[in-house]
Amino acid sequence: MTQISHPSNPKEPLGLWLFKIITGPIILVILTIHFLVNHLLAPNGLLTYAEVIAYYKNPIVPIMEIIFVCFAVAHSLTGLRGIVLDLNPSQRILRIFDWLLLILGSTAILYGIWLALTIASA
Amino acid sequence: MPTLWKITLEILRQRQNQPPHVELFELEVDPDENVLDCIERVWAFHDRSLTFRHACHHSTCGACGMRVNGVEKLTCITPVREVTHPNGVLRVEPLRNFPVLSDLVVDVSGFFQRMEQTQLSSIAPLSQAKLPFEPNPPTIWQGQRLIDCIECGLCVSACPAANTSTSYFGPAVLAAAQHVYRQTNNPTVMQLVNCADGLWRCHSAYECSAVCPSNVDPAWRIMDMRRATVAHSLRNIFKRPNQKVAP
Amino acid sequence: MNQPSPRNILRWFDPRHRQPGTWAFILNRITALGLTLYLAMHLIVLGKLAQGPAAYDSFVALAHSPLVKIGEMLVIAAGILHGLNGLRVAITSLGFATRYQRQLLWASTILSGILILIFARAMFLGG
Repeated sequence: MTQISHPSNPKEPLGLWLFKIITGPIILVILTIHFLVNHLLAPNGLLTYAEVIAYYKNPIVPIMEIIFVCFAVAHSLTGLRGIVLDLNPSQRILRIFDWLLLILGSTAILYGIWLALTIASA
Repeated sequence: MPTLWKITLEILRQRQNQPPHVELFELEVDPDENVLDCIERVWAFHDRSLTFRHACHHSTCGACGMRVNGVEKLTCITPVREVTHPNGVLRVEPLRNFPVLSDLVVDVSGFFQRMEQTQLSSIAPLSQAKLPFEPNPPTIWQGQRLIDCIECGLCVSACPAANTSTSYFGPAVLAAAQHVYRQTNNPTVMQLVNCADGLWRCHSAYECSAVCPSNVDPAWRIMDMRRATVAHSLRNIFKRPNQKVAP
Repeated sequence: MNQPSPRNILRWFDPRHRQPGTWAFILNRITALGLTLYLAMHLIVLGKLAQGPAAYDSFVALAHSPLVKIGEMLVIAAGILHGLNGLRVAITSLGFATRYQRQLLWASTILSGILILIFARAMFLGG
């Protein structure tokens, strides 16, 4: 007879899952706006440095891009964690992976914010 | 005399901890016979060492679940006609995502233990035994009936999330928890499945509901339980600390 | 291996004998990995913007090859498929229209196909 293995993540309720479900549609909305604006305001598709700088002069653009990078990074790394969870990680490996994702995610987000602000102030 | 079909029964055979191999049996069968009848015939006339689980032969006990040509079936109610053709192949394999004990017999004990944790009762009042979107039974007789889930494990075998994760509860257990929660509002059942190995592991492939031979619709029940859990947790956020209810 | 095991990882991507729901799951997982990779590359590449006009403009000129265009088209297609199917998953996962998940799948797939064609037309025919 097999003894059932104890759930490896007993204290992990709905939070992360719900986060992924909510950020998904938000990203979809921002991405749609991004594409529409990109197409209407910059018909050439922002292919030169000057065009990008001009585009970022509108304060809505860097704000939108910053929100977008936060949600996109968080959503994708949460999803990545979901895939790893499917692979039966031990508690130890999961904790290490969590830290890795946290460092990676915050670095990416900080870098994204810095980049948007740099371009906006160029 | 019905027209008989010549078919090749391919059975995946395995002794515990040994590599599996396929054995072929040429049979002449009435296409209206069920797959389980063919397997029993092999056992009766060809090879007495073949092992498989079966009991009621009318889809009540849930013992004879196997994979037939790649798809999970309750073999006692699966006519040969539906799964192959004259001179065709019928490949029978044990359910996935369970340890194989021998041949077509898998170890369902862990699965049953988890089912038990949900405290699912095998009978319920008529109005609660069905899915909520099904029409109500005639109210002439206010009785109880067996609930639909026969604990056959087909949904666990079909679930892609259960392929890799030993700790995942699987569709049947989550569906059972929903059934119990909707009947009793028991918060411990919600607590049991509100975890990464429970409700939040499902990836919406909807395989479980497709293979369920017994009208349980596990996928619908999982989503309904998610909704109940999300609603419960959101309500808890707006309650004062001393009013909070677990989980 | 019959028991659940991380060694069965390739079974996630096996579409044989599967429901459309699993095909959607497979596509979602592949596009998820692809888009995550793209996000990383995108952020790194856009770093050129911080290095001034010369760095960015010469990079864009370099990236103007048909191969990059096909790659960009793949990213757009992945984004559309992942986004619209993800919307279906989000809605049905919260218990809304769960019984119509298959119809929603067809709807999201058809809509994705149309959008991908529109984007492809704009990209390759300049429409």
